[in-house]
Amino acid sequence: MRDQLIRYVDLLFAGAHDAGDIRQEILQNTLDRYDDLVAQGKTPEAAYSLAISGIGDISEILSGGAVPPEIPTPAAAVTERTEPQETPVWKKVLRAIGICLYILCPVPLFVLQNEIGLCGLLTIVAVATALMVIAGGKSGNDAPRKEEPIPTSPRSELHKAVNAIIWAVGLCVYFLLSFSTGAWYITWILFLIIPAVNGLVKACMDLKEASRNEN
Amino acid sequence: MSIAGDLIRGHTDAIILARLLQSDSYGYEINKIISTLSSGRFELKEATLYTAFKRLEESGFIASYWGDSGAGARRRYYTITPAGREACLRLLAEWEETKEIMDQLLKTEERT
Repeated sequence: MRDQLIRYVDLLFAGAHDAGDIRQEILQNTLDRYDDLVAQGKTPEAAYSLAISGIGDISEILSGGAVPPEIPTPAAAVTERTEPQETPVWKKVLRAIGICLYILCPVPLFVLQNEIGLCGLLTIVAVATALMVIAGGKSGNDAPRKEEPIPTSPRSELHKAVNAIIWAVGLCVYFLLSFSTGAWYITWILFLIIPAVNGLVKACMDLKEASRNEN
Repeated sequence: MSIAGDLIRGHTDAIILARLLQSDSYGYEINKIISTLSSGRFELKEATLYTAFKRLEESGFIASYWGDSGAGARRRYYTITPAGREACLRLLAEWEETKEIMDQLLKTEERT
C-alpha cells in the first residue's frame, strides 16, 4: 500500500516538469499521514484512501507561477500579492517606439512639403500602428486585472497629475505658437503631439515602475 | 462546519505562522498539530498547506530547509523569519480585534 501511495503521488506529478521538491514534500507528508493512520489502527486500505483525500487539489500548485490566495481575507492581506504577469519589457519597448514614430510622423511632411512627404507621414503612422498592435494585448487580458488597484494607487494619481500638466502646457504652447507665428493652419498638429507625448511619458513611467518591481 | 471551515481557512497564514512561532516544523507535523488542537474538527489539505508555505516564503515570512531523519525520510522544514514574526504578531493583534468586534456584533439577548 505504501508503494502504491508513492506511485500515486508520482503519477500526480507526472505531467509537471521541475516539480521534484514539491513532489518530495507532498509525498513525504502523505506518507507521514499514512503511517500515522496505520499506527492509529486504520486498515492499510482506509489509510491509503484517507491519505490520498488529504492531498486535495494540486492543480493550483502545478500551474506554477503566482499563487493566488484562496479567499480574499484579512490573512491574505499580509502577503504582498505579487502582480501576476507584468507586461513584458519588449512589449513596452515596442509601444514606446510606436509612440516615438507617431510623434515624428509629421517630419517628412515638414521637410519635403509635398506628396512624397505626406506618403512618408502615412507610412510612418502605419508602421507605428502596426507596432502598437503587436505590442497590444494589454486591452485584452491584463487590463481589468490591473485596473482593480489603480483607482486608489498613488501611481495613478501621479499619472493623472502628469497628464493634466502635459495638456495644460501643450495648450499654452499651442496658443503661444499660433498667435506668435500666425500659422494656425499647421499648429493644430500639436493636438496630435500632445497625446503622443502623454503616452510616451506614461510608457516611461510604466517602464520605470516595472524595473523597480523587478529589483 | 463548512462555514466555520471557510472562516478558519481564511486565516491559514496566521495559523501557520503561529505554529512556526513555537518551533520549526514540517508539513504533516503542522497539520497534525492543527488537527489535534481543533480536536479533529479541522485539517488542511496538502495542497492548501503547500500553497500557503509557498506564499509565505515568497513574502519572506518563512524560510525552509531540508532535514533528513532516519528511514530515508527527507522532509522540508520551515522556520519563521524576523519579518514573519512581526507579521504573526500583527495578525494575532488583528485577530483579537476581529474577535472582539464579532463578539459585540453577534451579541444577542433572547427576548422573553
